[in-house]
Amino acid sequence: MNNIVKDSMVPISEYPTISEGATLMEAVFALENAKTNTICSNKSVETTDDTKMGNCKTSAFKGKEPVDNNPHWILLIVNSEGKVIGKLSQLNILTALETKNEGMKNIEQIRKFGFSSKYITRLREDAYLKNTSIDKIYADPEIMGMKVEDFMKEVADNDFIDENTSLATAAYQMASRKRLSMLVTREEEVVGVLRLSDVFTLVINNVKAQK
Amino acid sequence: MKELENLYDRIIQRVNINLRELEFEVNPYAQNAIPLGQMIKFYAFFGISPHHPLSFQFKHSNLAGSYFLGHCNVINSLLYKSDIRGDELKKKGDLFQYQCFEIPVNRDEEINITDSLLIKTLVHNFSHDPETLEEFFIKDTISMNYANIHGSPSDGCFLGPFATADLTTIRDCVIRRFAYVQAGEVSHLDIAAGTVWVRNPGEFNFIYQHPVDELNDYIFISPTAPPQGLFIDFVEDRKEAFQRVFDVVNIEHSTSVPTSASLDRYAVVKPTTTIGENVLVSQRAYLQNSYLGKGANAQENCYIINSQLEGFNVTAHGAKIIEADLGTNVFVGFNSFLRGCPDGRLTIGKDSIIMPHTIIDVKESLTIPPGQLVWGMIKDDEDLANHSIPIEKFSGITSGISMGNMYFEGNGASFVTAFKDRIHHILEANGAFFNGSEKKGHAQKNQYISFNTLQPYPEGHKKGLYPTIVIKP
Repeated sequence: MNNIVKDSMVPISEYPTISEGATLMEAVFALENAKTNTICSNKSVETTDDTKMGNCKTSAFKGKEPVDNNPHWILLIVNSEGKVIGKLSQLNILTALETKNEGMKNIEQIRKFGFSSKYITRLREDAYLKNTSIDKIYADPEIMGMKVEDFMKEVADNDFIDENTSLATAAYQMASRKRLSMLVTREEEVVGVLRLSDVFTLVINNVKAQK
Repeated sequence: MKELENLYDRIIQRVNINLRELEFEVNPYAQNAIPLGQMIKFYAFFGISPHHPLSFQFKHSNLAGSYFLGHCNVINSLLYKSDIRGDELKKKGDLFQYQCFEIPVNRDEEINITDSLLIKTLVHNFSHDPETLEEFFIKDTISMNYANIHGSPSDGCFLGPFATADLTTIRDCVIRRFAYVQAGEVSHLDIAAGTVWVRNPGEFNFIYQHPVDELNDYIFISPTAPPQGLFIDFVEDRKEAFQRVFDVVNIEHSTSVPTSASLDRYAVVKPTTTIGENVLVSQRAYLQNSYLGKGANAQENCYIINSQLEGFNVTAHGAKIIEADLGTNVFVGFNSFLRGCPDGRLTIGKDSIIMPHTIIDVKESLTIPPGQLVWGMIKDDEDLANHSIPIEKFSGITSGISMGNMYFEGNGASFVTAFKDRIHHILEANGAFFNGSEKKGHAQKNQYISFNTLQPYPEGHKKGLYPTIVIKP
């Protein structure tokens, strides 16, 4: 596996981002939109059959050849200087949507004290039923108005990987750090995103090639 | 006093290193707790008796106002008005039961305190850790006012005021104010203020969280202020009475004490108090106008005021009982605060268990029926209904229950049995069941203790440090 990271990353310019200060509702739509778009090359395809064009629906790539059909599962959060300050996944959004009443907070706090998952689940179910309906939780204007920086995952030192790193090393780092994606850097600048799905595909292809 | 300052800095640094992962800085808390100037004012003392081991080593330490009994070593540490009670340590040849193992004890157990700062802390019982049977260690640890380190080896920990580690090996943990932990072995945990946690893995798990806003009225501490609140005011108001018993060399209590009972010469007893047979009153206990029936006990830092204890009552370390009537076999856990008032007394029915760190503070009379399990913060009948349950009903729990801020998972009968067994053991160890010739405990053995005092360097760069002292039989 001689590839290096920059050969397999998604360029930052093509990756879905959202600005610091956006609300949870805006993030939900942005992530939904990102999920239905794919990475597209600039190469035109000689067909008008949309089914062969995957999901290249954005105007910039309409009619272009799809590179792959792996949807984006995360958004990058950028600050006013264009710097990536966090990531937002579906899990982060589901966590943000969690009810934040006193009962739920207590249940969260006792997690670390060795109670079983079964017991915690039962407490959560009881708390849900006691407090409100699911519909009301998801319509709470306070929750929908939360800012992305309140529930995003802040980028940490081990979220970054240099663009010239080998894919074998990248695969190891993603596995050991339990990362679904890593930010690819050229010196100090973030130039792309390396996704687990892309690394996995390459690794598997290499495995198959050895047969 | 340069050496003392260096020692203090060294301890702070070592504890901070241990707690770096929890991002907890001990310095502001410890600095406000006790001015070093105070640490040169008081003598230390140790007990000698034919019933207890005698082996002390003190090296490069300050021991101001602290008491030692049994087998203790203190190195590079600052101990301020703390009680190090080594009268329940294991002996060579004992068999320690752990799960299905019977582990032989190879040598007499010793309490080893190194690189630690203990303020008005009680250290008692023995190591319950099967990995360290012969050593009850306390290292790189800071404990604040009226903390209890009870059968709990500790390494790299901070215990806030009125916190308790009970039968638990604690490593790199912060146990904040008025939190109680009895969980076998814990590490790298930051236990919130007012948490009461009792766990036996595979059997049961109990946790209660005091409402912090209300708890702050009783005990509060911040990086900019020393411990304060009702608990501190309560003990400060009675400080002078202790001053007298520590200043006088030979003290005679006016209260009549049966031959089977023990009243420590460093306890305060005010009229009109009655002490029954087989009663144990430990040092730094405070009794006033109270009745202690047969087999009752008042352990270190307990206050029993205008109260009646019918008999076989355990009042665990630091518990306070004011304007209350307790039936027989009532257990009051560590640091609990039970306060009625002259026009509204608190009555607790027999065989009840008041969980450690419970606060019952009532302005009108409150009656707890017999056989109740009680926890939390209770100020009226409604609170009582939400923070108690008949022990019999609790014993029937097979999976779990939650009531307000209390969560319990596991087998209720197992939990109740564990508590009852322990209460029985405490009464037995304290000599409550002494029959005139057999079943002697602390109440009988502690009658024959004589005390010796130790003093630090009075001046110079070693001012406040005690010289290296080795005391053997």
